[in-house]
Amino acid sequence: MKKKLIIIGAAIIAAPLIMSFCGFYVSKADGTLKNKTSQVILVRDGNKTVITMYNDFKGDTKDFAMVVPVPVVLKKDDIKVVDQSIFQRLNDYSAPRLVEYWDQNPCYGNEALMDKALSGKVAGVQLNEVVVSSAYKKKETVKIEAKYLVGEYDILILSAKESSGLKDWLNENGYKIPANAEEVLEPYIKSNLKFFVVKVNEKEKQKLNNNFLRPIQINFNSPKFMLPIRLGMANADGDQDLIVYAFTRKGRIECTNYRNADMATDKNVPLFIQKNFNSFYGNLFNHQWNNEDKAVAFLEYAWDVSPQNYYHCDPCIATAPSEQDLIQSGVWWLGNKDWSDYSDVDNQEEDNGSKNVHFTRLHFRYNRRSFPQDLQFQVTPNTATFQARYIITHPATGDLSCDAGKKYLQELKQRRKKELATLSALTGTNINNWQDDATAKNDEETNPEVQYATLLPQVKSDSGQQKNLPAGMIIISAVLLGGAGLMRWKGIV
Amino acid sequence: MFFAPLFKDARYFQIIFQCEFLAYGILSLGWNAEWGLYLTYLAVSIATQLVAETMLSRVKNNTYPTANKIKNGLPSAIISSLGLCLLLKTNDLSIAALAAFISIASKYIIRINGKHIFNPSALGIVAAVLLTGNAWISPGQWGSGAVILFSVLCLGFIITTKVQKSDTSIAFLGTFGGLLFIRQVMFLGWSIDFFVQSISTGSLLLFSFFMITDPKTTPNHAAARIVWAMLVAAISFYLTTFKFINAAPIWVLVAMQPLVPLLDKFFKANNFSWIKYNRHYVSRKKTYKAVVIPKQ
Repeated sequence: MKKKLIIIGAAIIAAPLIMSFCGFYVSKADGTLKNKTSQVILVRDGNKTVITMYNDFKGDTKDFAMVVPVPVVLKKDDIKVVDQSIFQRLNDYSAPRLVEYWDQNPCYGNEALMDKALSGKVAGVQLNEVVVSSAYKKKETVKIEAKYLVGEYDILILSAKESSGLKDWLNENGYKIPANAEEVLEPYIKSNLKFFVVKVNEKEKQKLNNNFLRPIQINFNSPKFMLPIRLGMANADGDQDLIVYAFTRKGRIECTNYRNADMATDKNVPLFIQKNFNSFYGNLFNHQWNNEDKAVAFLEYAWDVSPQNYYHCDPCIATAPSEQDLIQSGVWWLGNKDWSDYSDVDNQEEDNGSKNVHFTRLHFRYNRRSFPQDLQFQVTPNTATFQARYIITHPATGDLSCDAGKKYLQELKQRRKKELATLSALTGTNINNWQDDATAKNDEETNPEVQYATLLPQVKSDSGQQKNLPAGMIIISAVLLGGAGLMRWKGIV
Repeated sequence: MFFAPLFKDARYFQIIFQCEFLAYGILSLGWNAEWGLYLTYLAVSIATQLVAETMLSRVKNNTYPTANKIKNGLPSAIISSLGLCLLLKTNDLSIAALAAFISIASKYIIRINGKHIFNPSALGIVAAVLLTGNAWISPGQWGSGAVILFSVLCLGFIITTKVQKSDTSIAFLGTFGGLLFIRQVMFLGWSIDFFVQSISTGSLLLFSFFMITDPKTTPNHAAARIVWAMLVAAISFYLTTFKFINAAPIWVLVAMQPLVPLLDKFFKANNFSWIKYNRHYVSRKKTYKAVVIPKQ
């Protein structure tokens, strides 16, 4: 019985860094199924943070405006517009992936291996936006700290003394602020945050002659490592997805005020998932998110992507971000230092000269109820790699009438039943909901005995399992107390 | 109390509860159970304890430690190692071993007036993070589910009342929570759920009920203890709120522990002993008095 590729797979899982294996990939999930998905690149080292905000505003650019609370008054050099395509590259590269393996026919020698590539869909994104229509006017409680023109954007940095003044100012200047935003503006003002206010400069926009808005990148020095999400929630109905691509020198980032959880990974799933991997991952994410009580940061990817590090992925589902992409994303320590630039001369962060880059991809789905606070992060020295990876295995083809072949079919049957059960557990859907996918014709399967459609009725749906916490805790308590009691009774303690 | 007859030594309760937290994390919060890490903490802690105990006996009396002495020391070593399991993360087992070693060795090396100064697990954590830079604390690992809030409060309280130091927990949590409330809700104007999110993190509650309460490393005198706990809380609040330092209470605790011998000097009270309900302990005291008094 040969299962060469599966064994290779197991070795990779055990030692991802030593043995890398680029090639057998099929598809990637964009991981973004909600209409409202924001994407943000965070780069952090020492006290310096670079935030890049993706912008896929789809309406008339005159109607676009954005308000972001920032800890300091930004200088003009601290604000840039960057190439939109880096988001696509980062998303493609770090998205959850489906890996494909082929069984070998135990009755014959090697079958040719092939790999197929299906492309994922582009993530839909919307940042905290408000509607704008007229020109600026000044009011006493609101101070315009700075005013810049950067790329196609008019940028104002505001500070305010009280929230109602700021709210009035924004409303009077045509930034339509939602009614309940005031509850967030006040704490922001009192925390001494500034407001980074952006709208589109039509003249500059026309010069560019493109029909999208480029991402805005800001950088600043502050011990605060956080991402304001509350202001965006104020005008959002329901759940919003946020994907954070983070780059640090040391290791993974972690959320400090919400729970971090690894996305379910390295699961063997049925072959038919290949046809609709995006909807599979969507169901899976939704189920895991509900299971983890929603207030959670999901880790979808973590890897050392330093330019000098050859092994970037396992397997690669897209070209690794180049050094240039990383520099564009704001990884300043990769670029050549501009020695004529003295602006960071009083930076306290030490430049240890390391060119390491660690990439973390976190996926949030937030709403006002589960996420009362802005997201706070920390950089950890954790360099362990992680990817959300799902495995499909093609059955052997050809004549399987030899003894080994019969044994193989039995094993295949068991394996496929297990795959179906895993699918049901991961997505929380009743196994019968997959009937259509399973019965769809699959030309690779010649033996009707081992087809998913045949096996499906034999697999009991075990959705709604997990959540065994209270029972589990009671049992553990009982065992511990019982054990302790016994030890006491026997005079051991 | 229901549990009262089960153990005379409250540390056994503490071990049980810490095991439960670990089980909660692994079973329900889906932590990757790093058994190698946990075993390293446990093995190195116990080994260090045994070696230190033996060395102490050899040097002092030129004997080997008695079975009782060893039995008395083991629960402390287990508690320290469980504290490390629950709070300190590292991917490097040698760092884990170092942390466990520092935890236990500090109890024997850094002593004033027969009391060790540092809380073993807190010192182990701080030393590992500071010295190696390759270990970290994950304040976000617990989340803020109501389950953990409830269970930590209840379980923690039982322990602390057993050793009569619930005053430390209350003083710390009250001050820290109170200051946060004043800052976040009353001053900044955040809604209540913002504040609840801040204080219901498992790490903070675990610290309040299982770390700062260690009676061996807090002042003996009740008033001094309360003031000291409040001071720890106030500094932690300042560092958390204005300096954005994660897991500040643990750092502050270690920094404030050298103050304890000083407070003990000015506020006289009896040293704490874990086995306070032990009959032998009491009767030996009585015999001692009975022998001494007739001689005068």
